[in-house]
Amino acid sequence: MSDKKHKLPYLIFSKKYFKENIIKILLLISAVTCIIIIFSILFFLVKEAYPLPTDIWSFLSGDKWRPTSANPQFGILSLIAGTLLVTLGAIIFAVPLSIGSAIFISEIASPRIRGFIKPIIELLAGIPSVVYGFFGLIILVDWIYKGFGVPTGETWLAGSIILGIMAIPTITSVAEDAINAVPRHYKEGSLAMGATKWQTIRKVVLPSALSGITAAIILGIGRAVGETMAVLMICGNSPIIPDPVWNVFSPIRTLTSNLGIEIGEVPFGSGHYHALFGVAVVLLIITLVINISAVYILGKIKEKQMALGKKKKKNYISAETTYKIKKYIKHALIGFLLIFVYLVTGLLFTGIIVLAAIVLSYVFKKLPEKKIQTISFSIITISIIIVLCILAILLGYIIVNGIDAMSWEFLTTPHSSLGRQGGIVTALMGTLYLALGAIAIALPIGVGAAIYLVEYTREGKITKTIRSAADLLNGTPSIVFGLFGFAFLVLFLGWGKVLIAGQITLAFMIIPTILRTSEEALKSVPQSIREGSLAVGATRWQTIRRVVLPPATPGIITGAILGIGRAAGETAPIMFIAVTFSAIEPSSLWAPVNALSYHIFVLATEISGQEAKIAAGGSALVLLLLVIGFYIIALLIRNYYSKKMKW
Amino acid sequence: MKMTIKNNKKIGKMTLATILTVLIMALALSGCIGQRADEGIIVPVNRDSASGTREFFYEFVMNKEDFTNMIEKNSNKAVHQTVSQTEGAIGYVGLGYIDNKVKALKINGVEPTVANVMTGTYPISRNLNMYTNGEPTGAVLEFLNYLDSDEGQAIVAEEGFVPKQGTGPYAKVEGLSGEVKISGSTTVLPIAGLALEEFKKIYPNVIITVSGGGSSVGITDVGNDNVHIGMASREIKSSEKQQYPGLVGHVVCSDGIAIIVHPKNDYLNDLTVQQIKDIYLGTYTNWKEL
Repeated sequence: MSDKKHKLPYLIFSKKYFKENIIKILLLISAVTCIIIIFSILFFLVKEAYPLPTDIWSFLSGDKWRPTSANPQFGILSLIAGTLLVTLGAIIFAVPLSIGSAIFISEIASPRIRGFIKPIIELLAGIPSVVYGFFGLIILVDWIYKGFGVPTGETWLAGSIILGIMAIPTITSVAEDAINAVPRHYKEGSLAMGATKWQTIRKVVLPSALSGITAAIILGIGRAVGETMAVLMICGNSPIIPDPVWNVFSPIRTLTSNLGIEIGEVPFGSGHYHALFGVAVVLLIITLVINISAVYILGKIKEKQMALGKKKKKNYISAETTYKIKKYIKHALIGFLLIFVYLVTGLLFTGIIVLAAIVLSYVFKKLPEKKIQTISFSIITISIIIVLCILAILLGYIIVNGIDAMSWEFLTTPHSSLGRQGGIVTALMGTLYLALGAIAIALPIGVGAAIYLVEYTREGKITKTIRSAADLLNGTPSIVFGLFGFAFLVLFLGWGKVLIAGQITLAFMIIPTILRTSEEALKSVPQSIREGSLAVGATRWQTIRRVVLPPATPGIITGAILGIGRAAGETAPIMFIAVTFSAIEPSSLWAPVNALSYHIFVLATEISGQEAKIAAGGSALVLLLLVIGFYIIALLIRNYYSKKMKW
Repeated sequence: MKMTIKNNKKIGKMTLATILTVLIMALALSGCIGQRADEGIIVPVNRDSASGTREFFYEFVMNKEDFTNMIEKNSNKAVHQTVSQTEGAIGYVGLGYIDNKVKALKINGVEPTVANVMTGTYPISRNLNMYTNGEPTGAVLEFLNYLDSDEGQAIVAEEGFVPKQGTGPYAKVEGLSGEVKISGSTTVLPIAGLALEEFKKIYPNVIITVSGGGSSVGITDVGNDNVHIGMASREIKSSEKQQYPGLVGHVVCSDGIAIIVHPKNDYLNDLTVQQIKDIYLGTYTNWKEL
């Protein structure tokens, strides 16, 4: 829509357009930053992975990871298997609960309950992973050890449960969006035909939302694959393939925890060092594939929604065939699950299950629809109750354990005697320095990119590329950012462990969050207002600055606060590039710093004694309150303005 | 309502979700019913691959033979925690980590105590070292001197390590300032951490920081001049000596490696070094075999 006149040189160099163009170029640069970051991460990881100490094939297929042995072996098959198995377990645990919660929130709950439950589930997403790890290490591991009578509780199962809990908010919120996006008239049509509410959900809503739900599950998988700290603390970290492979009580080591344990401790430039970056490349490739497929599926849905009403393409496979294929897949899935159950529990138990299933399905056939609806709804309600219970146990545990340590001195004095005495003020300040520094770097870039995408370009190749880059960045595991910072800032630029390295790395990590929320905020400003401003003779930038940005500010602030919360809770990316366990505040940006999340990690895993445990509990509570505080502020701002803003 | 689907097959499909849920719940419950582990399985706990304690163990106890696959923890505390929570577990930690939550085994009939390490009767012990790149000067030298004094060795003893004999009181130097950065072994970390707090009281103008990472990191860091002192719970390796010829070693104190098991482990109180090796090689998998 920019008219040809603008392209004439004298206008470009006239004062007015000169400024406009400079701004445009600056915004373009910030938009392209996302692409640059994702490529430089890839570049540095691959560069540092070369040369691998073994050939690629034995690297990928070897099942012995013995990097420091007299005859070192670098086989990562067991690590890949660990990642896949722990993720599989997490998904089996999380999917039923999340989908149930999503259906409950969008279809069953009254608006009041919805307004109450939705933010609570979002809170689960805000709990820092080191807090999950701390909880898992002290409580869950012990439960599994005592409850199942296995040699150790630090197992695949423990990791899967914790990762499942962490994936629940991701899956729930995306699935809920997908369910909400189902056109209203579909439901109305079904209800008008006399179907019950449950029949409508089951036969109309869920099938229409299926691809969105698939994408939600894929994103949940991505979340689980990329998690480091919690897994590192509770999975036992044996680089073995469970024997037999379905033995959920085997300790396990994932790609991420392998990096978290070893990268800070490896001699620079050794074969082990290169092998670890090789591990990171494999991890990055796995998450990229996962994220690209999620982005692709979500993109397809958007296309479908836009093309609604247009003539559909002809289906080459008839409806009957697809139905048959679906049926086969379903049967295969059930068979697979049954075999799995048989292998784990033995014949008798499987028999009981099959019998129970047959009886149940027979009973269900006889039941009237109303009863089925009641039963289904109660199962769904149970799933949301389970999720809420998990949250309550988690929070309750952290609060009960942390409250002992809480005092004014604890918050305002630096720690002494290795954290056994004294408080957390340096760690707390360090966390704030890191988070605020990160937001100071990320905010201009993220907002600039969002403005460029929304205001200066039409939907096309460029926006698509930038947006996919942001999505990929969003799905990149935090430990990979840490490795990038380690390779580039700490080693390549020779900065060493410094505050600014941590701030930059965290900034890279939260740019996508800010970009996405700012984009949404800008898009919610109606086009007519922009046109009004342009029509009275304002330039593009004037329009943006005076007309578009002010109403979009609350949305942008929400994004920024969410970014701060995320940065404050992270441990994995900063633990080998910015933080030390010191009781001294950093004197400049070029000094190392302590952070609350790292403080908890050290207290929980390295310092002995009862006082250390209490202090760790107290620090966990403070971190939790801090991060949740940021989330609540963000939610309040969002709710306040979404009520106030009516165009 | 008469439009309700009458095809029973189709209604059957609705139960799919229910059946799946039941299956999953059954899966979760199955462990309680069927899978009680056999009594007395040994759960060996190892340290991570950058640990100096592990290197020492690997060379001294294992004779450089590879460990069987097992749980790995990245600090002494984490090993202690796992062993204290797990009945069949066995682990190795520094003497300072022995308490009433774990049982420390005798080795060749000798109890792991500070006195026995001092007299040299306890077989598994090593020196804890600090390395500097070139001869230390200024604040770095004073910090090392402080560690060598009565005051410094008192901290060593307090943390359960084995102090050096024949040290004297620390003599303060006037007007000292500067920076000391320390990194490396998590075993030595508590000593350095506590010493630096006392040291700062004597010299408020000295900026001093300490971080962990493991012995390999400590040596790499000090060799690359990222820190002033690298802590290591093992001797420097010949490959490292080649890479960083300027490194100067300094013994802080000695440490015994205690073999710890769960307090309820009643199978034995005494092991030989060979037996420990066999456990970590995977030759023995049950306490009853020993």
